[in-house]
Formats: sequence, C-alpha cells, structure tokens
Amino acid sequence: MATFVTKRLLMALATVLVVAVLAFLLVHAMPGSPGAVSLGAGASQDAIDQLNQSLGWNDPLVVQFFRWLGDAVQGNLGNSLIDGRSISTDLSNRLPVTASLAAGATVLSAIFGIVLGVTAAVRGGLLDQLIGGFVGLLVALPAFWIGVVFVYLFAVQSSVFPATGYVPFEVSPQEWAMSLALPVITLAAGGAAFIARQTRASMLEALQQEHIRTLRATATPTWKILYIHALRYASLPIVASIALQFIGLFGGSVIAEQLFAMPGLGQAVQSSVSTHDAPAVQGVVVIATVVVVAVNLVLELATKFLDPKLRAS
Amino acid sequence: MSIETPLRHEAGASVLQQPLLEVRDLVVRYGRRRKAAAAPPAVDSVSFSIQPGETVGLVGESGSGKSTIGKAILGLQKVSGGSVGFQGEDITHANAGKRRAIGSELRAVFQDPNSSLNPRKTIGASLAEPLRVRGISGAEARTKAEDMLERVGLPRDAVDRYPSQFSGGQRQRISVARALICEPKLVVCDEAVSALDLSTQAQVLNLLADLRDEHGLSYLFIAHDISVVQFLAKRVVVLYRGQVMESGLAAAVTESPKHPFTQALVAASPVPRPAEQAERRAVRESLGVRTAAAVAATPGGCPFRQRCPLATELCAAERPALRRVGASEVACHYA
Amino acid sequence: MIPTLPATSRKTALTKLSGHRLINSPAGLAGTLWLSAIIIASLTAAWWLPYKTEDQDFTAVLSGPTAAHWLGTDELGRDILSRIFASAAETLGTSFITVIVGVGLGTLLALAAANSQRGEGIISRVTEVMMSLPGTVIILAIVGAVGTNIPLIMAILGVLISAGIYRVILGQAKSLQNQLYVDAAKVDGLGPFAISVRHVLPGLATTIVVQSALIFAVGLLIQAGLAFIGFGPPLPQPSWGGMIQSASQHVYDAPWLMVPTGVVLALTVLSANAIGNALGKAAHATASHLPSAAIRRKRAGQAVAAASAAPPVQDAPEAGKLSVRGLSVGVDGGTPLVTDVAFDVEPGTVLGLVGESGCGKTMTALSLMGLLPTGVAVTSGQILWNGKNLAAATDKDMDAIRGRDIALISQEPMRALDPMFTVGYQLTSAIRRLRSVGEQEAAAEALSLLEKVGIVDAKRILKTYPHQISGGMAQRVAIALALSGNPRLLVADEPTTALDVTVQAEILSLLRSLVKDTGMSVVMVTHDLGVVADICDHVAVMYAGQVVENGRAASILDNPRHPYTLALLAADPHANSAHDMPERLATIKGQVPQPKDWPTGCRFAARCQFAGSACTVPIPLLPSGTGAGLVRCVKADELAMEGLAWVPTDVPASHRLDIIEKDMA
Repeated sequence: MATFVTKRLLMALATVLVVAVLAFLLVHAMPGSPGAVSLGAGASQDAIDQLNQSLGWNDPLVVQFFRWLGDAVQGNLGNSLIDGRSISTDLSNRLPVTASLAAGATVLSAIFGIVLGVTAAVRGGLLDQLIGGFVGLLVALPAFWIGVVFVYLFAVQSSVFPATGYVPFEVSPQEWAMSLALPVITLAAGGAAFIARQTRASMLEALQQEHIRTLRATATPTWKILYIHALRYASLPIVASIALQFIGLFGGSVIAEQLFAMPGLGQAVQSSVSTHDAPAVQGVVVIATVVVVAVNLVLELATKFLDPKLRAS
Repeated sequence: MSIETPLRHEAGASVLQQPLLEVRDLVVRYGRRRKAAAAPPAVDSVSFSIQPGETVGLVGESGSGKSTIGKAILGLQKVSGGSVGFQGEDITHANAGKRRAIGSELRAVFQDPNSSLNPRKTIGASLAEPLRVRGISGAEARTKAEDMLERVGLPRDAVDRYPSQFSGGQRQRISVARALICEPKLVVCDEAVSALDLSTQAQVLNLLADLRDEHGLSYLFIAHDISVVQFLAKRVVVLYRGQVMESGLAAAVTESPKHPFTQALVAASPVPRPAEQAERRAVRESLGVRTAAAVAATPGGCPFRQRCPLATELCAAERPALRRVGASEVACHYA
Repeated sequence: MIPTLPATSRKTALTKLSGHRLINSPAGLAGTLWLSAIIIASLTAAWWLPYKTEDQDFTAVLSGPTAAHWLGTDELGRDILSRIFASAAETLGTSFITVIVGVGLGTLLALAAANSQRGEGIISRVTEVMMSLPGTVIILAIVGAVGTNIPLIMAILGVLISAGIYRVILGQAKSLQNQLYVDAAKVDGLGPFAISVRHVLPGLATTIVVQSALIFAVGLLIQAGLAFIGFGPPLPQPSWGGMIQSASQHVYDAPWLMVPTGVVLALTVLSANAIGNALGKAAHATASHLPSAAIRRKRAGQAVAAASAAPPVQDAPEAGKLSVRGLSVGVDGGTPLVTDVAFDVEPGTVLGLVGESGCGKTMTALSLMGLLPTGVAVTSGQILWNGKNLAAATDKDMDAIRGRDIALISQEPMRALDPMFTVGYQLTSAIRRLRSVGEQEAAAEALSLLEKVGIVDAKRILKTYPHQISGGMAQRVAIALALSGNPRLLVADEPTTALDVTVQAEILSLLRSLVKDTGMSVVMVTHDLGVVADICDHVAVMYAGQVVENGRAASILDNPRHPYTLALLAADPHANSAHDMPERLATIKGQVPQPKDWPTGCRFAARCQFAGSACTVPIPLLPSGTGAGLVRCVKADELAMEGLAWVPTDVPASHRLDIIEKDMA
C-alpha cells in the first residue's frame, strides 16, 4: 500500500511537470512576444525589444523554463503582461471561487446522480424510463444553455437568486451560498446525468452477480441487498465516475464563470487567452492541473480503499 | 530427468524413430522478474516425448501446468527454460514465420467450442484460414473445407454458415476439422471435450479416435479427467503443481498408481456404479491424503508433500527424481 | 441464465453490429432521421435558405417566429433559421474530426495495447495521465497558441478524448485477444498485425460505432461551448454556440432567442446519443438476481392469484419432507422449460437430479427456493413443504423459508460469495438474521460452523475476503453459510462441477457426513453419474424438461430402464476402466432439443435407438418394476425383457452423420 501511494505521488508529480513543460511550450507558440503584448499596439519596436530583453525572452528556452520552474516552486508565477499584477496572488484569490464551484457541483451531481441512478435501477418500470429520459435530456442540453435558462427563470422571472456575481464567503456566508447556487446547479446538471447513468449501470450489473442470489437464499432483507451489498459492489465505478466528473466540472467552470461573471480560474483562462497574456495562461494551466491531479489522486486512493482485492495487494 | 519411452510400447518399430515431439526440462514462469522468482514455476522441468502415431495424455488438476505445457509447445506461451523439439527441430522460441512453416503439421483443438471459432466469420472462412496463410487459393481451400466438414460428419453446405448456427458439439467437430485440414502430424487437444455434455463428448472422442486411426495421427491429449484421457491415450503423464509425478502406460497408471498423488487422483474420480464407488470411497479415505491446503506452494522439495501421507523431512529437503517403479516412472522417495 | 436462447447465440447477438437494433428502437430511429435531415438540410442550405446569414431586416429586430422569419430574428434582424442551417455543416463536420481522431487513435492504442503486455503498461500510464488533466483549460491554452482554428482545435480535442476511448475499447480488445480463435490463428502462424486486423478489429465494430456517436455529441457540445465563451469561428461567421451566446445577452428582452438554436443543438446531441445507445444496447442482458421493484410487485400479484387458483394441499404435512407434484416452469410468455415434474425427498436422504445441460434440472432446483431468474416462473404444479405450497408463495413468505428451512449452494463458490465483504461478516450476519442471536453468539457460531465444514484454521478464514481463498475452501464456506439457518433441506446446484476431482471427493464426503449428522435432506443437481453413485439415495433422470426415470440410485445406475439413462451410462468413459475401455463409446445422435422444439410425443424418440410408432404420443411415467421406480418409456419392459443395451452406433467419421440442423432463419 505504501509503495502504491509513493508510486502514485510520483506519477502525479510527473504529470504536473509534463503539463508545465507543455504549457511553457504552448505559451511560447502564442502569437506576439510578451513585450508586444504588454506594451500594446503602437509601441515602438525598440521599446518592445528592450522589454523582451529584460523579461529574458531571448534566453534559451531551457534556461527560461528552469527559471520559471524555480520561481514557481517558490510560489512565484510571474506577473501579468497586461496589468503587471502578481499572477500567484491573482490566482490564489480566484482558486477559492472555482474550487467552491467545482466542489459544490461535484457534491451536488454525486448526490443527485446516485439517487437517480439507484432509483432507476431499483424501481424499474415506468420510473426507470422517466429517469432515463430526463437524464438523456440533461446530457444533451449544453450547460451554458441550461445556465441561461436558469438565469431567466430564477433571476429574471422570479429573482430568487442573483443573476451574476460572486460574494466571498468571508463577506457573507449566506450571500456566498446564494451567489453560488445558480452556477453550481448549472454545472451539476450534466454531471448528475453522467453519474446517474454510471450508477444505474453499475447497480444493474451488481444485481446480476451470483452472490445476490446467495443473499436472497439466506433471506437477506431486500433493502440490505440493495443498499449494503449491491451498492457496495457498484461503488467502485461510481466513485471513479465522480472523479472524472470533478475533472470535467473543473474545466466546465470556464463556461459557468463566464456566464455568471464569477471571478474564478476559468474566467482568468478565458481572459488571459483572449489577451495573449502568456505567463498568466501558463500559471493558470499549471494551477488547474495541480488541483485536478491532487483531487484525482485522493479519489483514486479512495477507490483503492473500497476494493478489498486492491487493498490486499 | 527425461522419461524414457517404454520399450514395450506397442508401436514397437516407432521406438527407433526420432520422436515426433520432444519436450525437455521445460520450465515456464509467469509474471515479471521478481514475482516470477518468488513463486514456484508454473511448469517445472517437465520432460516427455511423443512418438509418431502415439497419443500421450497429460493429466492434472487446476494449477498443474498441463495447459501451460500445451501452450508452450504451440508457441502461445513464452518458455523460461528447457526446450521443445518437433520432428528433430528446436521450436522452443520459434517466431511467427517459423510457426507458419510448422503450423500445418502441429495443430491444436481447444476447450471452449464457443470461443474457438470466430463468431463473425463463416465456417468456411475459419477452416480456410490455415490454408490461405500457406498460399492455397480460395477455391481450393473451400473444396478442402467442404471435404473436411464431411469427414467430421457435417454437411458440406456448412461452409457458408456461422458458428452460432451450430451446437457446442458440432462446433467442436468444426474445430477438429480446422485442426486436421492441413493434414498435421501432431494435434494438441487442450481439454477438447471438457465443455461438452456426456453424449456429445462421446461423439467427439469417437471422432478423434477414428481420425487418428485413419491418418496415423499423434495427439497430446490434455485433460483434468483421467478417465477421458485413458480412452484415447496409451501413455499418460500425471502432473502436480507443474511437475511430473508419474508417467507410464495408461492402464498401469490408472489400475495400479504408484505415486500417492496419482493414487488420490484415481480414487477420487467417481464411477457410476454405486457399489464400486463405495469401495473407491473407502480406498480414498484410507489413503489419508490431506485436503488441498490453503498454504501457498513453496519452492523446493516435493510439491505434494503438504498433502502426502508418506511425507518426511526428506521430501521437504529434496525433490524426488523420476525413477522406475514397476511399469511406470514415479517421482516419489517412498513409492 | 436465461434459458430461451442457447448461450452461444446470445453471445454473438451481443457482439454483432446490427442496423436492426437502430430501426427497432424508436429513439434510435428518430435520431437517425433527425441527423440525416439536418445533414441534408445543411449541405443543401445554399439552395433553399430564405436569407443569407448576414441579411439584416431592420423591420424585425429580435422578433419571435413570424411568417417571414419562421424562427425569428436576432438583435441585428438576421434570420435565425438561415443562420442555424448555414452554420450546421461546419459544426457537424468539425465535430466529426474529433470523432475520427479520438476514436481512431483510441482504437489504435487499444489494439496495440491488447497485443503486448509491455505496450499496455506504457499506453495505460500515458492515457491515465491524459485523463487526469483539466482538458478544457488545456484546450483554451491551445486556442491561445493556435488561435480559433476550429478544425485543428477539434483534432486536438480528439487526441485528448482518445484516452477515454482507449479505456473503453481496451477491455473488449483484450477479451477478444484472449479468445481461443486468436490462439488458433497464432498456431496457424498469423502475425500480430494480421490478428488485430482480422480477428480483433471486426469484433470491436459495435463499440467503435457507439463511441463515435457519443463522441460526436461531445464534440458538438464542446465546440458550442467554445463558441459561447468567444472562441468560435471568426465573426461574422455564425456558429451555434455563438448564437446562444448572443441570445443570452437578450435573455431579459427577447427570451425566445434562446429557444431555436438551443433546441436544434440539443436535438442533434440527443440524436447522436440515441443512435449510440440504440446500437450499443445489449440484445439480451443477463438477468438480474433481484428483479426491480416494478417486476416484484407484478410477481407478488401473480403468486396470490396462483395460490387462490391452486387446489388445496391434500397430502398430510410431514415435517421435513419435500413433495413436488406436477411442477411446470416456463418463460414469461409461454415457452415451457420444465413440465410436469414430480418427486419426493424424504428427510435424511439425497435426491439426485441428473441430466445434460438444457434438461431443466437447475430450473427445477431454483424453483424450490423461489429463486428462478427474472422472466422465468412456475406455471403450474405444487411444491409441498411442511404443509405449504411454495409454488404459490410470495417472496415475503419465501423469506421465512429460505435459509431457515431450505438452503442453497451453487456451482461456482467464488461467485456465490460477496467479494466486498469478509467471510466472517457474511457468515455472522446470516447467523444473526436466521437464528436471531446477538453479535457475539453469532461470531462464536460462525467459528464452529467453519470447523464443522472441515476448515482447520477457521479463525484466519473468518478474516479473509473470498478472493483470498481457494475454490474448495470457498465451497466449504458457502456450505457453512447454507448451514447458518439449520436448514432441513439443502438444494445443491452442481456444487462440485467447478472443483478439482480430489476436492470434489472431499466436498461430497462433507455433504454425506452432514446429512448423517443433521438428518437434513439434499436435492443434488448434477450431470455426473459418478457423483450420483457416490452420494445419492434416489435419482430423477431429467431429459428435455421432464423426469424420464426415477427411483433408487443403486437400481437405476446398475439396472437402467429408460433408453436415455442407458445411453448416458454407455457414453460415460468413467463407466469403464483402462483394460476394458471400448474401442468406441456409445453416443446419442443429435442433441437435446430446444424447449420450443419439444415434440408432443416422447421427447427422446428422435434420438432413441429403440423408438417406434408407439412413441409419438405423450408418454406417462409408468412403474418400472424395480421398487417404487418410475420410467417414462412405453418400451421399457420390452427392453428389459430382451436385455437390450444401447450400442455404440455412430458411424465412422468418413460417413455423414445425421445431425439435427438448427433453422437457418
């Protein structure tokens, strides 16, 4: 077990490193030198060259990368080319927004997905078909469309929730929750559908296992067969699908943040890509990767713990 | 520790010939380096040979390595040590090209009739595949396939049908046809009738016997059931945990087994006559063989020692070599 | 097991790509129609669209549907319908790039990985890394580098998605690679590439098509999402996502704008998903061992109806005696699987139900516990136990019987135990439930039960999970579990078939001593006549859903009366020892008929050496003349009198055999 954890930790580290290299290369493939981006249109070529020189843009790529890496491990991701702000500071302010969004949406979609999936598998019949149809619709509707409709229904028509904006938790926990509600529901809709499908399939597969017959043959109550034994058997693929969902939702937050004007990582990616703010893009890609890889690692260890066969080995 | 072919073998003349198949000190280990070194090998220094026209049975329980030996001979399993010789040629590590060259003479029938034919190909296409690989034209291959189907008792027009249109027994006949279509010298039958019901099993066993007599074939007949093996095989090799325990004429091994494991195996195989079965049961219970222990196999010594009523310290210290006891070769210090 | 189809045709049905499945599914059909319609409409858009994409109608800005603008107009008065269809071709086409790259690359990787273990190790590592990346963020970073070059972006998306496709396909590719026909091809000398192309790839066809449809939908959604956040095709070119984005700006003043594009996008995604689901649907899914609540409700209703319809129990109830009378089991919808089966099991005796596969012996055994698979039910007859008719009992009634009165052990002990819980947990929770005792008492009882079934280190075994013990050990545990309610009857469904012969002997000895010690009775389902000889007091030989002969095991095995029993014994190589092994074994021509093909007369007549004109009418069970034995053969007396034996008649292989063809339809 200990060697497994070390192995996985090393893998995760390697993943982050590979992404850092890729992001670095991508950023260097972006059109326009940092000097040109920073000084904007109309700057003289001399001024641009001078700025590029001082930013180390003309150094060999390897030197630049290790300089960036050395700074990055000390928590310094450089400064924005657009407004000169520290990227680390900016992202550390943005991370809680996206993290709340993604975590909230993952938890919500897990709860709804599991309940819907288990219900469909266990009840069967008409209810199964209804849930199947509903889930199919949720999968097909784009999140941004659902989001706009939510805004129309809950913010425009009835103003239950604020349409846009984010209130930090420190300012007002209640308003924080209200400001998160619509984006989280928007994000969770598709995720819940995905998890519901996985849950239904895993539950049905679990109920096909022969040990279910043994349980029935020893007069095990139905609720116990369903919710202790079958659900336990089905839990591995369900947890795996939740992990995948978190990765997807973390990325999906780009759209939700744009739609609901949330100052999160997604918005930072979107704006830094549009403005060709190279160090900002690089920083946000690496931070996003670190978060996703870390959460994935935790969930993978959880899966490992759930499976007695893996736990023993 | 090679097993001498008994000189009293009925096909007396063939003894002087070069063996058709010669397996020498075969070792197969599963897993990667460190794992493989820790566990005892799946096949541990197994040697035997098959003369032209002879059928040898390989008997053992699950984990005895019998199927692994078959796979190693067919090139489906990497060999860790020892050699496999076919018609005097070393084929231990033969590549696909070499396999193609000998593939028409060394063929196989596998256990599961459901998976041994590609469900998406017609019977004709499956039968023609070994011929087409060897450059025989489509029309000729088709005619040969039709002839072969007729020989195994199926209608000629079966060539255009799919495996799902046949029953398990019929499919196993088709597998036999596929093995024999290249006019082979040796057919490895790996649990070829184990998945079949009694009456169909008998059909396929009869078919195998008929074809052997017609063509002078050799079989390596691998099975867990010693009674099935002794229907076809004159000589049997009994395996336990990858090692040869006993080998000799089928009649001798089953009627008067010498190795404690063979004794247990024979006594445990039930006969459908209640009175005789009661006697067998009494014999089995008097043997005092211990239950298949949950303890993992440990390398060194006799692999059967943990279950053996005769086991002593010697058995843990020293792996018994095969030696002649009566008419058979037995690997036991005390047989 | 669903007995309506032979196992094999079920298997092929699962793997064959079939257009029928698409047409047979309403959603799949609708999806195909919509997708074809939208593709045709978009390709021909130039000829029929009422407006150009940039035509502005200032008289109708942000209008709803009108005669001039069927789907309304946007903030610049541009016709929505025209813009949707003008941009459809490119949207669909570029999504297809993702499909080609993603599914193509994923399939290639899976084929390569299935071919070599080392390759699999490397590829799986890499794809794991790819799957744990925040894909959207990376795609955006790529957009930053290469600009909004949609085809290129969609291709790169395909590369990222290929990791997931690889995961889906790998398992199947590996299982195809492990098929014996691949081994056979290797023996033929086919190289790895040829095997992948000829034997593995065709088997993946369904999965590839299904995944393509699903990935197409994903591509559409992601592409629209990119356009929504401003990374769509360069303006003024319209795109679905871009149109929804601009519609979202007008959600306050013109909410209608959200509808047309959103619905078209959603319908297209739904269609692709529906096609994928319809094609990927398993034709015959394995039956659930616990039917859904909806089915259970229906069942309960049927049981009540059957109970009220059944004649009252007449026999005086005798404790611990099982009497089965006129039992018929069938598939819902008609096909019978077991007809008119009758037998008695006295306390302390072992009854063998013996026959080849497809004879209905397992169905008979499972009906005793009310555990028939979903879709199969008792259609008539009585199962009398302690004065109750179990055939008409509800699931709830059965719960009072299961485990406490009648217990079950099955063929594959490993699969019969729950892999997620320890042996100890499974045993103690059953004991607590069935004996109504406390935790500690149950734990002590579990230990003593394991010792009773011959497990030496019971303490250790209690702590293990099923995968940590051997098959023989697992069957002992399964027997201990069956004993946890002190049952009076044990239903054993081929309990030793999956075990080695030396282990089988041990398990049979254990069962025999349990019968002796506890006085319980056993119904033993087996195909092995040797097992019958070893442990059974009585035997019922089954053929094609009927009992064809029953009586004392000793008299039937030593002196069989029914031609089928005769034939089975003659075909069994175990009946002969090495020195008297015959040249040929007896065989029975043809095979056991499918339930739908059962004749009205003697069901064995078509395969019987002794069949005559008297065999074409239904044959009742008649006294066989040996003890209380019964035999279902009109010629039994004649055969016995003349001492006829089943002779090995099958013709040498060079002659054509008479085979029963399956219909070619």
